[in-house]
Amino acid sequence: MKKIGAEHIKDLCAGAAFLATGGGGDPYVSQLQAERLLEKFGPASLLAPADVPDDFFVVSVGMVGAPTVTLEQLPTEDEAISALEKYEEITGKKVDAVIPFEVGGGNSTIPLFVAAMKGIPCIDGDGMGRALPEAQMMTFPIYGAHPTPAVVMDSFGNHVLLECDDAHSFEVEIRARAVEMGGMVSSAEHGMPGDLVRLSTIPGTISFATALGKLLRNHGGQIDVVQPQLFKLFKESDYGVIKHLFTGKVLDSQRKIIGGYDVGTATLQSFEDPNEKMSLFIKNEYLVAKVGDKVVASVPDLICIVEQETSRSLNAERMCYGQRVSVFGIGCTHHYRTPEALKVTEPRAFGFDLDYVPLEEID
Amino acid sequence: MRIGIDVGGTHTDAVLMDGLSIISSHKALTTPDVRQGIIEALDTVMSEAQAAPNSISAVMIGTTHFTNAVIERRELSETAIIRACLPTGSGLPPMCDWPGDIAAALGNHGYMIRGGHLFNGKPIAELDEVEIEKVIDDIAANNIKDIAIAAAFSPANAAHENQIAEKVRQKLPHANVSLSHEIGRLGILERENAALLNASLGDLAQRVVSNMRAALTERRINCPFYVSQNDGTLMSADYIARYPALTFSSGPTNSLRGAAILSGIDNAIVVDIGGTSSDVGVLADGFPRESNSHIAVGGVRTNFRMPDILPIGLGGGSLVQKDGESIGPRSVGHRLVTEGLVFGGTTITATDIAVANGSCELGDKSLVSHLDAELVALATKTIHAMIDDAIDKMRPSEDPVPIILVGGGAILISRQLETASEIIHPQHADVANAIGASIAQVGGEVEHIVSYSRIPRDEAMVSATKEAEEKAIAAGADETSLRVLDVEETTMSYMDDDAARIRVKVVGDLKQAK
Repeated sequence: MKKIGAEHIKDLCAGAAFLATGGGGDPYVSQLQAERLLEKFGPASLLAPADVPDDFFVVSVGMVGAPTVTLEQLPTEDEAISALEKYEEITGKKVDAVIPFEVGGGNSTIPLFVAAMKGIPCIDGDGMGRALPEAQMMTFPIYGAHPTPAVVMDSFGNHVLLECDDAHSFEVEIRARAVEMGGMVSSAEHGMPGDLVRLSTIPGTISFATALGKLLRNHGGQIDVVQPQLFKLFKESDYGVIKHLFTGKVLDSQRKIIGGYDVGTATLQSFEDPNEKMSLFIKNEYLVAKVGDKVVASVPDLICIVEQETSRSLNAERMCYGQRVSVFGIGCTHHYRTPEALKVTEPRAFGFDLDYVPLEEID
Repeated sequence: MRIGIDVGGTHTDAVLMDGLSIISSHKALTTPDVRQGIIEALDTVMSEAQAAPNSISAVMIGTTHFTNAVIERRELSETAIIRACLPTGSGLPPMCDWPGDIAAALGNHGYMIRGGHLFNGKPIAELDEVEIEKVIDDIAANNIKDIAIAAAFSPANAAHENQIAEKVRQKLPHANVSLSHEIGRLGILERENAALLNASLGDLAQRVVSNMRAALTERRINCPFYVSQNDGTLMSADYIARYPALTFSSGPTNSLRGAAILSGIDNAIVVDIGGTSSDVGVLADGFPRESNSHIAVGGVRTNFRMPDILPIGLGGGSLVQKDGESIGPRSVGHRLVTEGLVFGGTTITATDIAVANGSCELGDKSLVSHLDAELVALATKTIHAMIDDAIDKMRPSEDPVPIILVGGGAILISRQLETASEIIHPQHADVANAIGASIAQVGGEVEHIVSYSRIPRDEAMVSATKEAEEKAIAAGADETSLRVLDVEETTMSYMDDDAARIRVKVVGDLKQAK
């Protein structure tokens, strides 16, 4: 089994920031915490979804809430593991492995230290292959896992057991609990047996994000230099498709909070032709990219933006005039290409009046 | 008349100002005790202007002394931090991400206790008197007198920090206490770091202030003196002993503010070109635009109010490479005066290009007459393109902006810049820092987290502004001159629609003693 230790966390976080497609908040707190806990409890074992036995019971753990709150309300060591232990206590089921919600932002690292602390493996995979804002957009419920019973735990050890009909109502419930319970909560949810893990998980994303982050960090320089290796890495992965969409500078970025989400638009201008502009549509993540009037990439495909000179991923919150960036489109994995999956993740699910066209079908 | 003094790592500059006019200026060498350098600079500007000590109404001092102490890990005191956050926060104890050497310099005395608040204003836990007393006893047993105090969400609710401070002062009346909400912003790790650095500089600050005061007293200058802060405002000398860390980046700030005075322009980009690098900063309404990202001081992450500065590797001593296509970041630095071609050396530097293309008269022009015209043209283009590019990254929008050039390397720029609406080369640019210090104003700032569903937005703004005004007046501002400099409103994602963080900053002229 592969191991992932404290020394890999900076790479993983850099890779997860890229796959977060502009969302995921500032990962500093979760990075620090993961480094400390993996140092203390030793590295976590990574179990490939294909190797998960049928009789294994796997639960997804992570945090839900407003990233801004964690700036002040720092985590305890055992919040996430307490949620998991309470889950075992309430359901009477022993958890054999944990799995991340998403491989974007802080939630990529939480299951790793929970696994290390508990002495069980963490699945090398996740339920998004990127970051997305809502629970029903995860591949787990899309492929048949039920989000509840779910145990939601605050920093004080208070917990709530959620039982919901479906992923949509779960999303509404857990969001409300997060606000009531201090702004940020830990959640143990989406319990599933081995066969469902193999079906619903996007495999290999933790080790992929670590390799990706290592590539971006090691060069620590211009993205143009990294690009050939970046293309190779993605083409050989489950994502398969990667395209360079645009290089230019940020002309304008406007956002406001609507319904608890960071919603807005940004405009980029090409270096080669000042009349050529890219518009980006943001709801926490970069969801739709257009050049002129033409859509060049849309959710659930990934739109990833890095600063040209440093290859560092650009969070949507940090975008402002004058930044020099390169924009990449990356094909979502096959998990998101079924009608059921697209129904909850295509542009219309976010209120855009346009059809999803797979990245590779756009010239 | 006022005197502005800039105590840098190498030079101590002084200017004597009458209103906005420069009467005299002088550059002296900085001395380890600070005092002697100030005296030399003072003597020269006073005697040149034949000014009497009693004609001076205020002295303003800018210094990089405290930044340098942190970077060099010298003269820092052993310091304890009390963080009220439990039962949350135990996963990331104080100083957990500090470089080992500076954590060791402060002695690694971290304490976590119950307390602090949630985003919605409710306490995380009530303070526990017995627990606090135990911590204070332990601090006393370790013979520590510099103490930082932090509590979760203290920028929104400082009650717990204040209560802990009161207990500390009761038991340890001579303690030097730094409260995080008075120093940093939201983000408890960075804010407590700021408070720790501030507390650890307490002893040094006392010594430096008394040396500064001694220098003035020796020259019978008995007017109030002030020290300039990161945001271009002043604090009275009594304050600096308590808030030395607020001077950390007053150097670039004073340079920007000085450039505003020298040029008479309040909204511009200032390019300070030195020997090895250039700093590009933004003036908005006469004050530096602040950085929104975390800034490490000596390897410690902080969230001070700091100016947003873009450094680039281009200066007067930068090496010209690839036939002029590439310049810097390598530089001959201060060896320019021996190694540059115009000074008889053998290295082609950016300064040689400026002489060859007729931008300036310096050294022996005949020593660059052999340079290939194409190389000179290409290098000239590269220099201007590098500055243009940096300005473009910093300017607030696509519109051309006024550019103010300061620093010894300003001679490199002689052609048009695409980003510039005009280019200004002000006089006395070599003492811009001291001038910036001399004209600094007094400010007050507050940051609140509010829920507009509970308090209407207008009411929240009025109350924040009033609190900021009170802070400015307490810091010495004339209340008739107060104006709101900046209002920042940030809504918080994934929370209810009405939660917001508001920050109000107020400035005013210094209240003059009658």
